[in-house]
Amino acid sequence: MIDTLLHLPLFWALLTIAAFTLGQQVYKALGNTAFLPPILTGIVLVSVVLETTGISFDTYIEGGQYLHLMLGPVVVMLAVPLYQFIHVMKKEWLRISLAISLGSGTTVAVAAVLAHVWIGDDAITITMTTKSVTTPVAVTLSEQLGGISALASAFVIITGVFGALMIPPLLRATRLDAPQSVGLTLGVCAHAVGTSRALELGTQQAAYSAMAMTLTATLHALLLPWLV
Amino acid sequence: MTGLLILLFFLVAGTLLQLEYTLPVPGSIIGMLLLLMFLMLRGRTPEPLAQISRTLSPLLPLFIIPVSVGIITQKSLLADNGVALLVILAISLIPGALVCAAIMQMGGKPRD
Repeated sequence: MIDTLLHLPLFWALLTIAAFTLGQQVYKALGNTAFLPPILTGIVLVSVVLETTGISFDTYIEGGQYLHLMLGPVVVMLAVPLYQFIHVMKKEWLRISLAISLGSGTTVAVAAVLAHVWIGDDAITITMTTKSVTTPVAVTLSEQLGGISALASAFVIITGVFGALMIPPLLRATRLDAPQSVGLTLGVCAHAVGTSRALELGTQQAAYSAMAMTLTATLHALLLPWLV
Repeated sequence: MTGLLILLFFLVAGTLLQLEYTLPVPGSIIGMLLLLMFLMLRGRTPEPLAQISRTLSPLLPLFIIPVSVGIITQKSLLADNGVALLVILAISLIPGALVCAAIMQMGGKPRD
């Protein structure tokens, strides 16, 4: 009976939703802390269950694919916030475009060069280039580029948590801490996790962060396929 | 449901363009750009689209969990390179963040 259940694709879809819901509850209980995003709790819980039951990823994904299917439509949906941000950024578009393209370009280039020199595995280097892009886009992109999509997701989430942790103190120490700078930098370097950290800092930070995250993802999705 | 229909329409259009012209950009990204162009031409967001966006946005992370769980198939890679990867991810943030914030504050701190 248990064995039948563990090989039922729908059970794994159910478990994934349950793990995510639990992650949301934990996130709320901890006062929406940026350091434990629900997606991280969800991934860890599902992975632990798979490891303890000895069920393979291939079996899991038969159920997981029901949820994975929605990734396409939600990436298309990013056009809705992007359209709203285009209005907002009209005022300072040149400064914002430069900060986003050069800032994200720098962090990705440094990461890719370090990975190439230090590890020297092409698939890892390619995957590293998608680290500054919000997770749904990173996963889609790394599949397309010949990277490892599971690793892309891990890089993006870890970058997000590190960024949320490091960026506000770093910018305070260097006195580059105007609300717009902190928000934009969190969005460029720490995408969704950074944006939830920005929300804790203030509404202006949050607005700049959400805008920067969406613009960075679009820019990289368009440029990386031609560069890699 | 109209909102979901609009999303799927642009996803199919983007995927079709990608396959037909063997573009290196993912079909969903092309679909997103087509939808963006549509919104810019139209001048406002149709209500069904705003509605589906409000419904689906909070669920976005859920749809990424399945592929992310694939990390359990990468255990040997992580055992070999895990520490190096963490260090690279942390170090590479610093120059990027400084460049980004410096450009934002070039010529003095913004006022509001």
